[in-house]
Amino acid sequence: MGVKLIKREGNTFKEKIYLPAIFNGLKTTFSHFIRNLKDTSNIKTICYPEEQPKDITSNYRGVHRLTKREDGTIRCVACFMCATACPAECIFIEAKEREDGIDEKMPSVFTIDLLECVFCGLCVEACPCDAIRMDTGIFSFSATCREDFLLDKNRLLCNEPMKEGKNNG
Amino acid sequence: MVEITVDGKIFKVKKDALLIEELLAHKINIPHFCYHQSLGKDGNCRMCMVEIEGKKRPQIACDTPVKEGMVVRTKGENIDKVKRSILELELINHPVDCPICDQAGECKLQDYYMEVGLYDSRLDTPKTHGKKHLDLGSNVMLDQERCVLCTRCVRFTKNITKTSELVVIGRADHSVIGTFGDRKLDNPYAMNVVDLCPVGALTSKDFRFHQRVWFLKTQEAICDGCAKGCAIYVDHHREKYKDDTIYRYRPRFNPDVNGYFMCDFGRLGYKKENNSICQSAYIRGKTSEYEYAEGKFARLLKRHTGKIVFMVSQMLSLEELFRLKKLAKNCGAKISGYGEVLWDESFGDDFLKSSDKALNRKAFDILSIDVSQEFLSVSLLDAELVVFIRRQDVHTSEALGYKGASVFLDAYCYNSIFEGIDLILPIASHTSRDGSFVNVDGYVQYSSCVIKKNFYAKPLLTLIAQILKDSIFTCRDVWEDGLSQESMLCDIDFDTLSKTSQKIKL
Repeated sequence: MGVKLIKREGNTFKEKIYLPAIFNGLKTTFSHFIRNLKDTSNIKTICYPEEQPKDITSNYRGVHRLTKREDGTIRCVACFMCATACPAECIFIEAKEREDGIDEKMPSVFTIDLLECVFCGLCVEACPCDAIRMDTGIFSFSATCREDFLLDKNRLLCNEPMKEGKNNG
Repeated sequence: MVEITVDGKIFKVKKDALLIEELLAHKINIPHFCYHQSLGKDGNCRMCMVEIEGKKRPQIACDTPVKEGMVVRTKGENIDKVKRSILELELINHPVDCPICDQAGECKLQDYYMEVGLYDSRLDTPKTHGKKHLDLGSNVMLDQERCVLCTRCVRFTKNITKTSELVVIGRADHSVIGTFGDRKLDNPYAMNVVDLCPVGALTSKDFRFHQRVWFLKTQEAICDGCAKGCAIYVDHHREKYKDDTIYRYRPRFNPDVNGYFMCDFGRLGYKKENNSICQSAYIRGKTSEYEYAEGKFARLLKRHTGKIVFMVSQMLSLEELFRLKKLAKNCGAKISGYGEVLWDESFGDDFLKSSDKALNRKAFDILSIDVSQEFLSVSLLDAELVVFIRRQDVHTSEALGYKGASVFLDAYCYNSIFEGIDLILPIASHTSRDGSFVNVDGYVQYSSCVIKKNFYAKPLLTLIAQILKDSIFTCRDVWEDGLSQESMLCDIDFDTLSKTSQKIKL
């Protein structure tokens, strides 16, 4: 392996006194400041939480929900595909015999730990039954204890898909 | 021996053997449903088609005897086309409900479909439906739609158990597996049909929906249900934030002992490994830290040196018994195997079940451990401490007039009345430590399964090594330390034993 010599930068007098670089940086800062001051309606940042983001689309990966069949019952058959695909291993499923005759198998426990979830969406992709989706548009969630971040089957079933033009955050 | 060419490679194979036998023996992938080593050929599934040079059409490998100079092709476009067509036929009425099917992950139909399947359906008529989740009895569930009618299960009940409960009912695409009338599948080996079934048609009610098979890790062990000591696979998995759990036992092929099968009683024996494990050490009925109890045991042995009796169980491994003898010598203890009743006349049959329920009864003869009542009564006369190892029959020593202190070294807690016992020190259970066992026919087998539970009870070998302050912790160490010099075991070398079972002369 040959040795590659790299010229060390920053040794000139101009560079050593730093001031030109500082003023250059401030030039950018002030140009943005003046531009925003002239046209306040086009500022990129928002006053969250009073102001809510408007660019959350139906493709946004928000908090999960479990979908339902046409008759309103749970669609999930506890095949464990999502739990298998999950890189954070945050989906906890226990399966049981489904008694209502609609299918054979359903989850008795289906819990997602939001604190462990990395919102990658692999569970949605893995699901062969379209039973789990991340289209709720919920981008922020808060709770007072760790246990409340565990979304169980019922809470996941209660989550609704995002309505067009309005987010659930 | 004759020479055949398979996919361009030359193999030496047995003369007159079936082609499929030899292909499978040489680990050549050959899809098959109806053929099984234990049930022989049936030739109904047509899945094992191969091209043989000189034959016009593809032939089934399971009904073709090997001939000198045969040139066989198992791969290639032609043969894939044939396989694809056969799979298409098998899948015409298949419900493709893999998400709810327990077999998914170990399903032959799934595997072959992924290899050569036709991915688009050409069917435009509705599928023929069969009955789903039908309880056949003996923990076996039937799904008629998933069945490929290989009749392995039918042939098993006809030829192996000779009970003939299962039959093929109906004709053409209405053919289904079933029992006659309301008869149930009822024989002590019934759950083997679940292993035999290459697809998800027969599943175990006991394992149903408990775990997906791709999560399971497999270790090799010996069933401790009876003295037959069937070779088994232990399928276990540690779920996140939970303890390691065993989900099922499956038979492991051992031609000397159990062949391809095991009995249902042994198969369900995994439950005690999950539910009956002693979860804490107890000193006079009160829970105690494990390390403290361990120290207490060592102190007890020291205090009562020369006045100790070890009452050992026939469930202990050869290595453990050998080391216990050494420990007994070290602390002047007498060692007795008397009093343990491990015999159930109603259990045995002439296949794989033995009335002798002691896993390692023969080891007492090999290591000359006394089982007479006289020896135990004499030993108990001046005893101050009795240590029960892998047994809890306090009544045996009490019946002989012993009233002193008792200690249990056991992995299992079946009853919660421990008040009279000075110390209960849990040791590793059957699937948590390795060891060798001599079965009823004199075969020594090594069980290598070591499952680490959350509550870590030390293996007996580790406990003994710590008390004796030597470094003989593993089974290999024990064999090298002198077990292999025992007169009946002198032909056995641990490396061979850990791979195959060894016969000893009794």
